[in-house]
Amino acid sequence: MTGSGLVTLVTFLPLVGAIAVAFTSGAKANQARYVALGFALVTWVVSLAMLTQFVSSPGSTQFIDQAPWIPAFGIQYKVGADGLSMVLVVLTTTLSWISILASFSPIQNRVKEYMISFLVLEVGMTGVFVAQDLFLFYIFWEIVLVPMYLIIGIWGGKNRIYATIKFVLYTLVGSLLMLVAILATAFLYQSGHNGSWANAFDLASLVAWAQQGHYSGTFGVLAFGAFALAFAIKVPMFPFHTWLPDAHVEAPTAGSVILAGVLLKLGGYGFIRFAIPLFPEAAHTWAPLIIVLSLIGIIYGAIVALVQPDLKKLVAYSSVSHMGFVTLGIFTFQQQALQGAILQMVNHGLITGALFLLVGVIYERTHDRTIAKMGGLGAAVPVYSAALGFFVFASVGLPGLSGFVGEFLTLLGTFAAMPIAAVVATFVMILAAGYLLWMFQRLAFGELSEFLKGLGGHLTDMKPIEAMTLVPLGALVLVFGLYPGLILNVISGSVETTIRYAQQAAPIALGLWR
Amino acid sequence: MNLSVSPTDAVAMAPFIAAVLVAAAVILVDFVWPGRKTAALFTTFAGLAIVAALIVLADQGARNSQNGVTTVFDGSYRVDSLTTFLDLLFVSIAGLTAAFAPDYLGERRLPVAEFNATLLFAMTGAMLLAGSADLIVLFLGLELMVLPGYLLAGFHKNDGFSTEGAIKYFLLGSFSSAIFLFGLAFVFGLTGTTRIDGVASHLTAIVAGRAPFSPALGMGLAFLTTGVAFKIAAVPFHYWTPDAYQGSPTPVTGYLSVGPKVGAFALIIRLFAGALLPMAVQWNIVIIVLAATTMTLGNLVALTQDNVKRMLAYSSIAHTGYMLVGFAAFAAGQAQGLEGLLYYGAAYSFMNLGAFAVIASIQRRTGITSNLSTFAGLVRREPALAWLMTLFLLSLTGIPPTAGFFGKFYVILAAVQAGSTNPWLTGLAVLAMLNAAAAAFYYLRVVVYMFMRDPTEEVAATGHGRLVWAGLTVSTVMTITLGLFPGVLLGLVSTAAAAVHIN
Repeated sequence: MTGSGLVTLVTFLPLVGAIAVAFTSGAKANQARYVALGFALVTWVVSLAMLTQFVSSPGSTQFIDQAPWIPAFGIQYKVGADGLSMVLVVLTTTLSWISILASFSPIQNRVKEYMISFLVLEVGMTGVFVAQDLFLFYIFWEIVLVPMYLIIGIWGGKNRIYATIKFVLYTLVGSLLMLVAILATAFLYQSGHNGSWANAFDLASLVAWAQQGHYSGTFGVLAFGAFALAFAIKVPMFPFHTWLPDAHVEAPTAGSVILAGVLLKLGGYGFIRFAIPLFPEAAHTWAPLIIVLSLIGIIYGAIVALVQPDLKKLVAYSSVSHMGFVTLGIFTFQQQALQGAILQMVNHGLITGALFLLVGVIYERTHDRTIAKMGGLGAAVPVYSAALGFFVFASVGLPGLSGFVGEFLTLLGTFAAMPIAAVVATFVMILAAGYLLWMFQRLAFGELSEFLKGLGGHLTDMKPIEAMTLVPLGALVLVFGLYPGLILNVISGSVETTIRYAQQAAPIALGLWR
Repeated sequence: MNLSVSPTDAVAMAPFIAAVLVAAAVILVDFVWPGRKTAALFTTFAGLAIVAALIVLADQGARNSQNGVTTVFDGSYRVDSLTTFLDLLFVSIAGLTAAFAPDYLGERRLPVAEFNATLLFAMTGAMLLAGSADLIVLFLGLELMVLPGYLLAGFHKNDGFSTEGAIKYFLLGSFSSAIFLFGLAFVFGLTGTTRIDGVASHLTAIVAGRAPFSPALGMGLAFLTTGVAFKIAAVPFHYWTPDAYQGSPTPVTGYLSVGPKVGAFALIIRLFAGALLPMAVQWNIVIIVLAATTMTLGNLVALTQDNVKRMLAYSSIAHTGYMLVGFAAFAAGQAQGLEGLLYYGAAYSFMNLGAFAVIASIQRRTGITSNLSTFAGLVRREPALAWLMTLFLLSLTGIPPTAGFFGKFYVILAAVQAGSTNPWLTGLAVLAMLNAAAAAFYYLRVVVYMFMRDPTEEVAATGHGRLVWAGLTVSTVMTITLGLFPGVLLGLVSTAAAAVHIN
């Protein structure tokens, strides 16, 4: 194998952790907990070390580790990271240890299996972000599915089996069709190179070939459709979002955090990394549809969130709305909008992750998530309410907190490319303020509700361990809000490259929106 | 006709002869030490090891000869890379079945030695089939493979379902053999030869217009296709499968879903890819339709099954469909279709046998059904079996990094490639993938029961013999290895697929 091995280390360290957890004593749950947390923390530190080594420049994938794998088909083990991968890998490793820590008290049942599932999940997620070979990417993409299936299905709520099967089936339909498209893409490359399979699954070679216009025409449109379906289901884009509320509501708290924080980003990442560079022309052909669906998702998610009686469902639908900004930003093919979309992916991961943690905190005390039963938390549990308020405002997009920057850049870029879409999306931000602030008002203000009074001493304020999971997220939200350049510097190279790929193809249909 | 046996011929025939002798030896050993399980098992495994060694030896002989093919008995039997590949697969299947069965049979007081001997005869038939270069030998091999299968299906003599399944299997099996033989008669009558290469060259002449085409040849083709479709349980010729599979003793079901199936695909390869290839344009449309209906119907019906054995029976129909996709791609001109089919066959054998071994182990004590409810909360009772079953089911679903995934990958790759000239194949690839997504539902339902439901009643865990664990280890290692490092088999698969054309 050639390469520094750094990316390989970050990717597979959690797998070593999973094996280590398997050897802990089943009777002593704390062993499994601390071993898992230890490995997640070490992985996080290694990923941060990688971040410090990273140099952003256009089109450069760094830390490449490469080894032949299945030479008969030119399939390699090839991993590496550019700015976009880097940011999302660090997001993954951060949210992973936070989620594991957040599971210490809620998960009391079959802790060992839970921790193994979580660490394997981390391998899959990191792997998707660093894979530079289409076959390898697909393998990591599918590996993510199995642990998440178990996490929702075993440790989830009442309706967990329905939710988890729905989650798996939705994702599988998309990803299996994507497999056909991957194979066709590789095959066209092979037949264009005198039948040699060498590099036929290598992303860099395929993209270079795609830039010469080899994947244009009907093939590109169909193949892009297959890729886009898989990614749209993951994001999730309206009308493929229906698995999301179920999965979120039934998943255990940490499962929701990872689902919202990382899994949804797999879709956005896929668009930027694979769908657009490989099929730039087709991306322009499909863009109007995707933009319309994004706008519908933004509006629909917000309206449905407005009327949700269940706290967790409200946050879930707000995800649909927020992720709409991501796809909107990507498919305007405009530099600022794309920067905004990537920022929005990171911010949504941090903020929604934190909101799910907060929902988990209140659920652990009340065993209820009905907003109508709450009230007066501000006086009863001030620290909790302050934290909730902070993240609610971050989610609304208060300037100074990170949520604002992502949405602002997205809208700015979109306005330059197609004002109508930007106007519609901006209008919806008022709705977002509506459902989030109304939720906060109903929870925190007023008299302590009868239901909460009935809990008596059970209604305690945040425990130190809960605070430990939220403080890093809050700090990042504040830092990125005040100085978004931290992320923008890292991703600038990737953004430029993607925009260059996208603009190679003539923007055809977009004129419609001016 | 030259029937003298040279040393090369002897080496080529050695594996087949040894297999017959081993089967006979198992019976003899049982005469000498009646009812001694250990003796019968030792003879079986030692014999299988010898057969495997001889297969490798015969393969060496074939590689050293011209073209990499040894033909014996005036060209009616041949040893080439395809024969070797299939033979080794049949030996593995027989070995694994022999490892999984004793626990189950012993608890039900069924004789292990007779079971193993019958199994070995079936294996012998499959080996003959794999190496046949003549239509008569082909038919002999087929019958020698399926006749012991009928016996095995009814092996649980006192069980009504076992007998019922065996009778259905026997009646439809004989029926289809007769249809098949009828088709062979047509082909012989019109081409004047039973040699596979002779038939092929005659058909080439017909396609080229140098010889007249007779409608009777079309009839023959139709009969052959129907007979073969019965044997592989392709829809709409699959009706015997669920009853035969559900009624049979579970280790036998495992064997039936794998051994005769791969054997029937060997028949398809030798007959359609060997003898009838010149007319591929004519019959491939039938294969495409069969593939589409087989995987779709198999999956749809499997969705509604509450009995895991029956569910796996329907799912095995669906897997037949996926393998036919590979074959259709081959017939459309992509050599990789055949490679994919062979790879899929190997992957499917190990994962499906593994899944049935887990069911057989759970059912070790009599009176335990194979209903889904038996699997409720299995992870608490027998965690190792539950995790292994999950692995096999994920592999059957086609989730990477397992053997089942790479099998699907290979077959679909071939179909997509063939799709560049024949758009039907692209459609078939998409349909196969949609089917795979639907299949996830019923495979994962078993996982739901094992991990996410509480057991309805308390069942004590049973112990499992060392042979079962050894067999499960082999299945597991193969399921993972063939998924993560397909390279170990790719070379074999491609030379095997290439061998089919060499005369």
